[in-house]
Amino acid sequence: MSDFLLEFVEVTQTIGDGLFFGTTYALIGIGFSLIFGAMRKLNMTYAAAALAGAYVGLAAFTFVNAPAPVVFLISALASGLIGGAVYITCFRFIPIHNHLAALMASIGALFFIDEIVVHTTDGSPLTFPAMFEYVMFELGPYGIRGDLLFVLAVNIVSTIGLLYVLYRTRLGLATRAVSQQDVAAQLCGIDVHRTNAVTFVLAGLLGGIAGSMTASAVGVLSPLITVPLTVKGLIIAVIGGLGSIPGAIAAGLLVGGMENAFLYFRGVNERDMYVLLLLFIFLVFRPDGLFGSTVDRD
Amino acid sequence: MSYYLGLAQLIGIHTLLGLSAYVLMLTGQLSLGQAGFFAIGAYSAGILTVIFELPILPALLAAAVIAAFFAFIVGFPALRVKGLMLVVATIAFGEFVRLFFFNLSWRVPRGDIEVGPDSTNGFREIRYFVANGWSPWEITTFVWTFVILVMIALWWMDRSRAGAVLRAVGEDELATQSVGVNLTAVKVTAMTAGGFIAGIGGALYAHTATYVDHLTFTVLLATFAVSYPILGGLSSVFGTLVAVIFIQGVLVEGLRFLGDWRNIVFGLLIIIAMNLKPDGLFDARTTRILRRAIGLGGREKSDA
Repeated sequence: MSDFLLEFVEVTQTIGDGLFFGTTYALIGIGFSLIFGAMRKLNMTYAAAALAGAYVGLAAFTFVNAPAPVVFLISALASGLIGGAVYITCFRFIPIHNHLAALMASIGALFFIDEIVVHTTDGSPLTFPAMFEYVMFELGPYGIRGDLLFVLAVNIVSTIGLLYVLYRTRLGLATRAVSQQDVAAQLCGIDVHRTNAVTFVLAGLLGGIAGSMTASAVGVLSPLITVPLTVKGLIIAVIGGLGSIPGAIAAGLLVGGMENAFLYFRGVNERDMYVLLLLFIFLVFRPDGLFGSTVDRD
Repeated sequence: MSYYLGLAQLIGIHTLLGLSAYVLMLTGQLSLGQAGFFAIGAYSAGILTVIFELPILPALLAAAVIAAFFAFIVGFPALRVKGLMLVVATIAFGEFVRLFFFNLSWRVPRGDIEVGPDSTNGFREIRYFVANGWSPWEITTFVWTFVILVMIALWWMDRSRAGAVLRAVGEDELATQSVGVNLTAVKVTAMTAGGFIAGIGGALYAHTATYVDHLTFTVLLATFAVSYPILGGLSSVFGTLVAVIFIQGVLVEGLRFLGDWRNIVFGLLIIIAMNLKPDGLFDARTTRILRRAIGLGGREKSDA
C-alpha cells in the first residue's frame, strides 16, 4: 500500500511539474491564437521570435551583465520588435485573403530567424543563467521549485495583462473589431494595418517573456527547440480551438501535464509522439478544439 | 561527372517530392506532411532491400504502396479540417513519423555485423546499388525513369476528367459538391496519390544516399516539398520541375560558396517570392505572357 502511495505521490508530482511548464506552453499557444484571432492567419515565426528574444536577453546578460528584470524586459522588447518586423515582411503586403501565401512567407521567416540564431551561436546550446536563487517549497510530500513558481506567477500576470488590453482598452476593442469583420472595422475608421501590427508586437512581447522565463527555468537555450516548440504551440492552439485564448490556456495546461505523465511512463524519446497523437484524437473527435467556434475554422 | 549525376538524382527525387505536394495542391489542400510520407517510403524500401533482401524494384513499389496506405489512413481525419488547420495537422503528422523513426530500432545480424534502422544513429546500410555494381549513370537513369513516368501520369491525368475534378475541388468546393462530386473521396484520393509519389521519392532517396536518419525528414524538407509547386505554379507539372531545378540546381548548388548561409537565402527567397507573387511565380498571368513570348499564345486553357 505504501508503495502505491509513493508511486501516486511521484506521478502527481510529475504531472504537477508539467502543469507549471504548461503555463509557458499556454503563453506560446496564446500567441498563435491571438494572431489567428486577429487576422485568421497563422504566424509560424512566433516561437522562433520568442527564442530569438531570449537570445537577445542572454546577450544583454553576457555582455553588460544586466540584472534579471532588465534581461526579461530586453527579451520581451526584442521579441516584440521581431514580431513587428515579421508583420511587415510576411503579412502587410500580401493580399489579405491569401492565407496560404502569408503562411508560406512566415515559414520562410521562421527558417530565416532560426538560421541567424544558429549562425551567431554556432548552433551549440548556451547556458541561460538561473535568474533566481534556488528555493524549494515543501508541501507535505510534494516539493515545488521556487523559480517555477515565479515563472507561473509571471505567466499568469502576463495573461491577465493581455486579457486586460484585449477587453478593457480601445486598442483591444480595435483588435477584436478587426478580427470579427475587417471591412466593417475599416469603415468605422480603424486602421487595420496599424491594429494588426500592434497585435503582432503585443504577441511578440508575450512570446519574449515566455521564452526567457522558460530558458531561465530550464537553464539552456538551444536553436534545436525552435521547430518542436512551434509544433507544440500550434498543437496547443488547435486543441484549445484556434483563436480562443481561454482554450489556449486550458490546452497549454493539459499538454504540459500530459507530457510529463507520458515522460514518466514512457520515457523522453516517446513523449512527444503521444502529444502528437493527442492532436489527432482531437482532430477526429473534436476538430474545433476545446473552446473553438464552429464557424470560420478555415 | 559523378557530381553532376548526383545533382541530377537529387533534382529527380525532389521533383517527385514536389509533385506529391502538387497533386494535393490541385485540390486546394496544402500539406506540410509530405516529408512524413517520404520518410515512410525511404525507411520501408531500405528495410525491404536490407533486411528482407528484396530486389530494388519490388521494394520500391512496396514502399510506395505502404506510403500511399498511410496517406489514405491519415487522409480521413486530416481532411476533416482544411486550410490552415490541415497545415497544422499535416505538420503534426510529419513530426510524428519523424519521431517514430527516431525511436525505431530493428537490427538483424548479417554476417558479422548488424544491419537495420538503429534509432538515433540512423539507418546506415542501404547499399543495394553498390552491392549490385550499379554505375552512377544507371542509378540516374533509374531515378529519372520514375520521375518521367510520374510526370507523364500526372500530365495525362490533368488532361482527363479526373484532373478536371481535382481542379474543380480546388477552385470551389461548394460548387463542386453541388454538382454531385464526393469531396472526401476526391481529397483522400489526391492524398493517397501524393503519398504514393512521395513514397517512390523516399525509396529512391534512401538508396541513392545509402544512409537515412530522422533528421533528414524535418519540417524544412516538407517546406521544400510545398515550395516547389508554389513557386512553379499549378498550371502544369513542368512548373514544379522548373522550380526544383531553380532551387536545387541554381540556388542551392550555385550558392555553395556561401556555405551554410545559403539556408538563410532559402528563407528569404520564400518571403520575397510570396510578397511579389502570392499566387506563385508562374501564376496564370505570367504563364500567359511566357506562352505568348514563345509563340504558343492564345491556345492555352482558360485558367486565367
